[in-house]
Amino acid sequence: MERRDFLKTTSLTASAFVIGFYIPSKSRAEDTKEVALQPNAFVEINSDNTINFIMGQVEMGQGTYTTLAMCIAEELNVNWEEINFKAATVAPVYNHFYGPLMITGGSSSIVAKQLEMRKIGSALNIMIKEAASKKWKVRAYDVETKDSKVTNKRTKEEFTFGQLVSDLASIKVPKDPKIKNLNDCTIVGKPHSRHPKEAWAKVTGNADFGLDIRVDGLKYAAVLHPTVFGAKVKSFDASNVEKRKGVIKVKQIPTGIAVIADSWYVAKEALNDLKVEWDLGEFSKVNTKSMDEEYSSLMEKDGASMRKDGDSAKAFKEAKKVIELNYNFPFLAHAPMEPLSFAAHHKKGKATLWSTAQSQTLAFAAALKVLGVEASNITYNTPYLGGAFGRRGAINLDFVLEGLFVAKDEGYPILTLWTREDDIKLGSYRPKYKNKVKLALDEHGDITAFDAKVVSQSIFKGSPFEGFGFKDGVDGAQKEGLASHPYSIENHDMQAYITSSPIPVLWWRSVGHTQSAQTVECSIDQAAYYAKKDPIEYRKSMLTNQRFIDLLDDVAKKSNWKNRKKEKNVGYGVAIVESFGSICAQVAKVRVSKDSYKVEKVWCSVDCGFAFNPQNVENQMVGGINFGLATLLSSEITIKDGATIQSNFYDYTVTRISDVPDIEVSIINSGEKIGGIGEPGTPPILAAVPNAIFDATGKLYTSMPIKMG
Amino acid sequence: MSIKLTVDEKVYSVDVSPDTPLLWVLRDSLNLTGTKFGCGVGQCGACTVLMDEESVRSCATPISTVGNARITTIETKEDKTVHNLQKFWVKEDVVQCGYCQSGQIMNAAGLLKKNPNPNDDEIISAMDGNICRCGTYNKIKTAIKAATKEV
Repeated sequence: MERRDFLKTTSLTASAFVIGFYIPSKSRAEDTKEVALQPNAFVEINSDNTINFIMGQVEMGQGTYTTLAMCIAEELNVNWEEINFKAATVAPVYNHFYGPLMITGGSSSIVAKQLEMRKIGSALNIMIKEAASKKWKVRAYDVETKDSKVTNKRTKEEFTFGQLVSDLASIKVPKDPKIKNLNDCTIVGKPHSRHPKEAWAKVTGNADFGLDIRVDGLKYAAVLHPTVFGAKVKSFDASNVEKRKGVIKVKQIPTGIAVIADSWYVAKEALNDLKVEWDLGEFSKVNTKSMDEEYSSLMEKDGASMRKDGDSAKAFKEAKKVIELNYNFPFLAHAPMEPLSFAAHHKKGKATLWSTAQSQTLAFAAALKVLGVEASNITYNTPYLGGAFGRRGAINLDFVLEGLFVAKDEGYPILTLWTREDDIKLGSYRPKYKNKVKLALDEHGDITAFDAKVVSQSIFKGSPFEGFGFKDGVDGAQKEGLASHPYSIENHDMQAYITSSPIPVLWWRSVGHTQSAQTVECSIDQAAYYAKKDPIEYRKSMLTNQRFIDLLDDVAKKSNWKNRKKEKNVGYGVAIVESFGSICAQVAKVRVSKDSYKVEKVWCSVDCGFAFNPQNVENQMVGGINFGLATLLSSEITIKDGATIQSNFYDYTVTRISDVPDIEVSIINSGEKIGGIGEPGTPPILAAVPNAIFDATGKLYTSMPIKMG
Repeated sequence: MSIKLTVDEKVYSVDVSPDTPLLWVLRDSLNLTGTKFGCGVGQCGACTVLMDEESVRSCATPISTVGNARITTIETKEDKTVHNLQKFWVKEDVVQCGYCQSGQIMNAAGLLKKNPNPNDDEIISAMDGNICRCGTYNKIKTAIKAATKEV
């Protein structure tokens, strides 16, 4: 870990220690079964020995609850199976190192929180031992902890952690508690399934997701939105809606017309009776073709520089071979399985929120602004998130704001729920990209220059994250993985172009790597082909980072790359991508038929520095690969008359069980800086598959999704 | 209109319009939120329940068509096929976000009730209507196969 990060985490932890645990006094715990939580707790021990871990990161499928709990449990010595999870409320103590906010994204939860959680576990363990040794009047080293119990080693007497609750308040929090070396850990670093409490809740239908909130007096809202981006309501007639049985209220909000009813189905059906006159606006003339033309014409001019070194113009003049490739990537919807929702109860200056936002702080801030209530009057709840892939981190906070505007001043709790059609049609898409690559090769087939142009909307420009992801006319997602490719090439001229439209764009699992992985790795593969070299050996000849070389060797070995069987209509492709601090290499085996292809097998080798939960790393790799396959097979958002053509899973098609390959995952613990795991499985597959189809057919498909017919 | 129905071994009476899909009766009238809404048009399988022994998409099943059929949801306390699948879902570490898994398990239960020993192709063909965006399909296959051996 870099020193800078260590200091930051340490100081954060030090301040957290003072306020980092909530241990109720004995008397209070006896008075009330429900312990009042303070907003700064990480671990809650109750006198009945129930132990709750308070999670500041959201759980959207990535396994963070389990792995962070492993980090605490490793040092605290609690009974792993019996701990409970509670989602944290909004408080600075849970903030991310990204900035003064709570946020889950960028595959960063373990990177950001593991050290803090291990230290908190250790500090509390030291305190428990001290409390017990005081009671028994023995030295601290004469007591030991295991399975939420502390034992007097001499007399074999025992206390549960819960029995020491009232004693803990008088014990000083250790300033710099020692933690185990990662290689000496017995829970961390070992393969664990999803925590049994989470897993059982999810397989029995008992886990509450955002749209599962049920409280007394709950009402439901559906919203009629314009389908043309940027369109506005000119006027509307709700007279037929208000007559419907079960309809409570029709309400105009900034983004459309909401119907509030006794059940969501009644609300949604009532939208059919709304008569709305729209002001469609300028964008209603736009379609995918006109956008393509606009993107292409932009490339004719000079763009903002993403990377310029050496003299690429000279290299192209002297080149023996020039490879030119044009890539097209469509808008993509995230389409998490749980449609977006937001619930709020706003009454008399107080508000209770049920939110699936990836940043609790941003949703909380939106509530302050929209409802005009004091921060201390907001109760914030985070249920499980039914998938997100970036969507619940919407920069424009669309679903959060709608839920707030609908519930504002109504005095009763309202769950505002989107249809799947809303989810597919309302944007916050992975941007559409049009990329151009030019490679210069010398007489040995070595690459002497790498030029690139990338055209897209900016995710970050004009957003609260602008300082984080937009600089000198370049969007961070245009540049990531492309300007920073790992190969030793002397000359570069890479340029970016920003377009704009009323279609909101957003990070989508692996963000800029969804375009740069193919832009780099398919182009390099083409160079290998023209150089008549093995794609893995060719890459290795340009790599200096040993971690990349080790991963390529590993994936070559696992896939039997050198002795792969030559078979008609079968191809093998490789790709390697560093993203979110981890490096991942994949080999895909593809079988093509006349107008389609099937990915039969994927070998995946990943180095995330140290795998805190190897089983979860494997699951995330498999999930990331299957998620990426959808964009190669069929997912795309296209525009006609300013509106999204697709509506639901019948025309925005995604990976199904019949599409998935057999996947083998291999993990290398290099011991280097810890990287993320939620996203790095996706980028390599995006290039490995087109490379494999090229191997089988001699044609490189550069427009996604791949249409072979 | 008052409609009687049997869900997870209990009898309920609900007052809804007869075209109301079973899904919304379960979720909004009975607060049985274990059954999930995913697409509303029978395309994703998140809302799958058993009608007698048959798996159906509750989002596309009007309550008026349920009649005297017994409805079994993921929240059942009695159904052994469902309980067996749940056990293997946990054992094989299937779930990620978990949202689609109610429907996946109920659809698998419908398959095993008809065909207690499905081969790989039969599993894939039966499960192809159930979407999982987290991509847990590989482990869904493993869990169904493991559960099959137990039956």
